[in-house]
Amino acid sequence: MVNPILLIVVPLGLAFALPIVNLISKKIIKYIPVLAFLFNLILSLLLIPKVLEQTIIVKIGGFHPPFGINLFVGPVGILFSTLIALAGFLVSIYALSYIKEGPKEKYHILYLLLLTGATGVVLTGDMFNLFVFFEILCISSYALVAYLGNKAGIESSIKYLIQGSVGSSLLLLGIGLLYGQLGTLNMADIANQINSISSPSIFVPMIFIITGLGIEAAIFPLNAWLPDAHSSAPSSISAILSGIAIEVGLYAVIRVIFTIFNASSFLMFFVFLGVLTLLIGEMSAFSQKNIKRMLAYSSIGQIGLIMFAISLNTQLGISAGFFQMISHTLGKGLLFLSVGFLIYKTGSMKISSFEGIGKKMPITSLLFTIGAFSIVGLPPFAGFASKFMIIKAALTTGQLLFTVLIGVILLGTVIEGAYFFKVIQSIYFKGTTDIIKRDEAPLIALISMSIFVLLIIFIGVYPDFIARILNSAASEFINRIDYIRSVLG
Amino acid sequence: MEFLSNYIYYIGAFGLIFIGLFIILVKHNLIKVIIGIGILDTGVNLFLIAVGYISKGTAPIFSKAGLDANNMVDPVPQALVLTSIVIGVAILALALSLAIRLYKHYGTLDLRKIKEQRW
Repeated sequence: MVNPILLIVVPLGLAFALPIVNLISKKIIKYIPVLAFLFNLILSLLLIPKVLEQTIIVKIGGFHPPFGINLFVGPVGILFSTLIALAGFLVSIYALSYIKEGPKEKYHILYLLLLTGATGVVLTGDMFNLFVFFEILCISSYALVAYLGNKAGIESSIKYLIQGSVGSSLLLLGIGLLYGQLGTLNMADIANQINSISSPSIFVPMIFIITGLGIEAAIFPLNAWLPDAHSSAPSSISAILSGIAIEVGLYAVIRVIFTIFNASSFLMFFVFLGVLTLLIGEMSAFSQKNIKRMLAYSSIGQIGLIMFAISLNTQLGISAGFFQMISHTLGKGLLFLSVGFLIYKTGSMKISSFEGIGKKMPITSLLFTIGAFSIVGLPPFAGFASKFMIIKAALTTGQLLFTVLIGVILLGTVIEGAYFFKVIQSIYFKGTTDIIKRDEAPLIALISMSIFVLLIIFIGVYPDFIARILNSAASEFINRIDYIRSVLG
Repeated sequence: MEFLSNYIYYIGAFGLIFIGLFIILVKHNLIKVIIGIGILDTGVNLFLIAVGYISKGTAPIFSKAGLDANNMVDPVPQALVLTSIVIGVAILALALSLAIRLYKHYGTLDLRKIKEQRW
């Protein structure tokens, strides 16, 4: 039987082996992330059927929980690790032709560390371990935002760093308060004992932890860093930050709310916060002139939508939230990757500079269009299936409030459609009508983006393919007793 | 006085945390903000140590006979703080190196004058 800990160990080990390989040959280092995430992808796919039968608990060093650190490889963990490995694999293929300047070996090391941190966060079953993996994720993303070393990159990176480090201090403070009261760091053990202490003393650490994690998840009042950081990073990193990093942050928030604190009364607040995040994100995106900034604000909107779906606290709602996460990772990843080469060829991030580029780069423009259609939610793409599922989940609750809020969300989607179609219009229907010489993105980047498109269409046409894992993932969050039992035995 | 002597570490820890947050929120010089992050980190570390500390306790090692397990300090928060100090050092080092690059680009460290990226 394969051990799921390899999902963390292999990328981490390769990240530290990379400088040594760099001494031997400078040409092969860029293939190391591809190899690492291919390995992770295959391992995750092999583990999925086993995990769906029974959750795997890895006891690190042979110490039994709650005394040792354990990994909890449940349906949610394996769903996320597959998604991380898939996005990491495809983006590292893209980066083979995209990353040409700067200290390349450092890019690849940080890229491996970023995704190692993300995989660690989703698999760990220990509060402090969660903090450590979160810091690995955060510190490598601070450095990667500044990778290009230009004015905008350095400035956004320092902003991100200040806000992120305040967030992680709050998270650690919350963990400390929790440890002071319960004397344990194991998530299942905390969840088991949480009812034994009075509610005001749970409330304070919960607020600290949620605020700390919420900064990374870009929940509405805490998202000031996101548009700067996502728009100044190299496009391949923007795809990962937007598709993986903020979703991992959101995963941590909902894991804390559902499993550890069992605070379902708190979820009503999150429903409103989600709708607010959605509206603010979409409206800010509408007024942007810079394409990457527009996509970054659109990510905030999507995070709000996911929060709304998960906060419905029903089986269907939570699985719809996870579905939306998958379609957001694929769609936004594709958008950022295709925009990367549009910016590279036009030399500008202004939306107005894309006029007529549909004739110069037809394939890349087509890929961008498909990504935009999927994010907006047009059939037959994945975004349609996931948004449809969210609406269905909200309507089956039968409460008037959710029906009204769905109306607000559809308004947000209309705004989303408006700004995406504005860009698509200027790509295809504006600018010169002359025949321009074609100047396409490199073949290897086109292949990686085409795999995103295939997945988007496949999942959009045949959503039942992932229905089973989404259902088990949702039940993992609803049945917290099962979580506690499977860890503590 | 009794209260003060019992809770002096917690008071100190939260004092440091609030001083750190105050510096981060109020000061305009980037280096001062980074110092604020350092103080905030120190406050959190002191808090974690205070959680596991017992007054006149011993190290949690049965080094000689007659040591009482109830009189030992909790080793877990100390392990956490070691990790947290290392993370704090990494963040401060990265922040200072970014500050150097920022100064090269703008010629100033005043955060009010650095607003290429609007919020």
